[in-house]
Amino acid sequence: MNHPSSDRALQDDVIRALADAPYRASPRWRRRNLADPYRVERYARFLARHFYFERIVQFFKYSRALARITGRPPEAVCKGDAFDLLLPSVVLGSQETAQAVARLVVAHVGAARAPIPYLADLLRYEEAMMLVEAGPRIWRDDTPTEGAPSRARHAPEKVEGTALLELDFDLPAVLPKLLQPWTEVPQAAARPTQLLVARSPHGRVAVARSDAGIAAVVQLADGKRTLEQLAAGAGLPVETLEATLQGLVELGAVRFPTGS
Amino acid sequence: MTNRLMVGAFYNPHLGAELAQAEGIDHLAMADPPGATDPWWPAIRERYTLLLHDYLGQLSEPLDERSIGRARALAELYGSPWVAEHFQCLHTADGAYNLNYVFPPLYTEEFLDRFVRNATALKARLDQPLVMENIPGFFDVAASQLPEPLWLRRFFEATGAGFLLDLPHVWLEAHYHDRNPEAWLAEFPLEHVVELHVAGVEEDRDLRGPWIAPAEPSDEMLAFAAHAVSRCPRAKAVTFDAFSPSLTPDVLFRSVERIRGAL
Repeated sequence: MNHPSSDRALQDDVIRALADAPYRASPRWRRRNLADPYRVERYARFLARHFYFERIVQFFKYSRALARITGRPPEAVCKGDAFDLLLPSVVLGSQETAQAVARLVVAHVGAARAPIPYLADLLRYEEAMMLVEAGPRIWRDDTPTEGAPSRARHAPEKVEGTALLELDFDLPAVLPKLLQPWTEVPQAAARPTQLLVARSPHGRVAVARSDAGIAAVVQLADGKRTLEQLAAGAGLPVETLEATLQGLVELGAVRFPTGS
Repeated sequence: MTNRLMVGAFYNPHLGAELAQAEGIDHLAMADPPGATDPWWPAIRERYTLLLHDYLGQLSEPLDERSIGRARALAELYGSPWVAEHFQCLHTADGAYNLNYVFPPLYTEEFLDRFVRNATALKARLDQPLVMENIPGFFDVAASQLPEPLWLRRFFEATGAGFLLDLPHVWLEAHYHDRNPEAWLAEFPLEHVVELHVAGVEEDRDLRGPWIAPAEPSDEMLAFAAHAVSRCPRAKAVTFDAFSPSLTPDVLFRSVERIRGAL
């Protein structure tokens, strides 16, 4: 970020100071002397707790539904000492902070002595959702829809952050039941299950069942391999590959670089 | 005048069962679109006047077609009598940093021009009036050029938009600037107010002082609300402003009842 030359740029600098604890502590920000540093620090800590409380409630909602069994509501970590220790390094929305906060939640809920065989799988799933959501996003669509480059001329590539999960239980079948009223904990079938978790450029996180073919396409899509090379590597006919890629693009797992 | 005021709350989906059968609530503000699996949504939609109060976009920049289309679709779905947005600028222009919480713009001529231009453009694309909500500052930024009430007055006069007056926001600013809340309120352009928000505040450990919380409004806040309503001749609705998974039905229903009683 350059030295602010307009009010909008100056506002961005204030937003960054609130979001980015290391920047807030830097001489560069402090020299600007734009606001009472005590109040800025207090407000930044308030925002950090709010930011991750909301994400934990959203992405660990199934663990929240199980809290009456585990006795461990995931959002409780936001009030703990371990969260306070993170505050000097928090950068709101970053992969690193999402990872650090998610680890706290997984350790907290995972320590429950509860008869839920799929709890470890569930926590991996919820952690993946939170991590995939992190990172910069597009807030406004400035990209023209006409004149987009032909896909045939560009090799598809996996979108950074896209995650493939190998689970021991069929979680997708049990998740909706956890959010409905229940008296006995809904059970998940013990069945190897592969899921793909991805995020759209606008920040929408989506999950889809995967299989060996889809997983191969995602892993091989490096922005260099042609469609034919991808099809050969994944063991798919080119027509099937194109349909698979279309689904992966809609999910946000794969993109076609513009080449510009 | 007070007989015509609607008194309502926010739709909290985890309280859908209770709200679907509730009495004494005139309207519900919608902070999020209804969930695809929300079993109470059809009854809620049938029963209540619904106010669009979602995040549409920050008006420091023009809204893109996707956001305008979303706003129009939600306003139509709800049959909303007006569409609300906030005086906020909470993410950087490049999208790299996002506070995920309402945060006010600098009160400068440049930002006034941006908000007037972009709100006017949004208004022209909506079938309902646009109302804009004030946002509190916990600290002052030295670069601001105008007092917030004057900046807001110039905005409303330039755009013809309505004012969604968030009273706890005014109260908090008065608190953190050692001012009398009623005197501070008197500086705001109250003649443009269409809707008021009333909420509870609680001590926050990070701020080491009060902040908005999903709690009942205090007697002091209710008295402040009654005072404010008496000075807002065009006000049509008062909304208990609490939207949180930790909000309990008791707090919601008692708050609405006490707000109605105070007015």
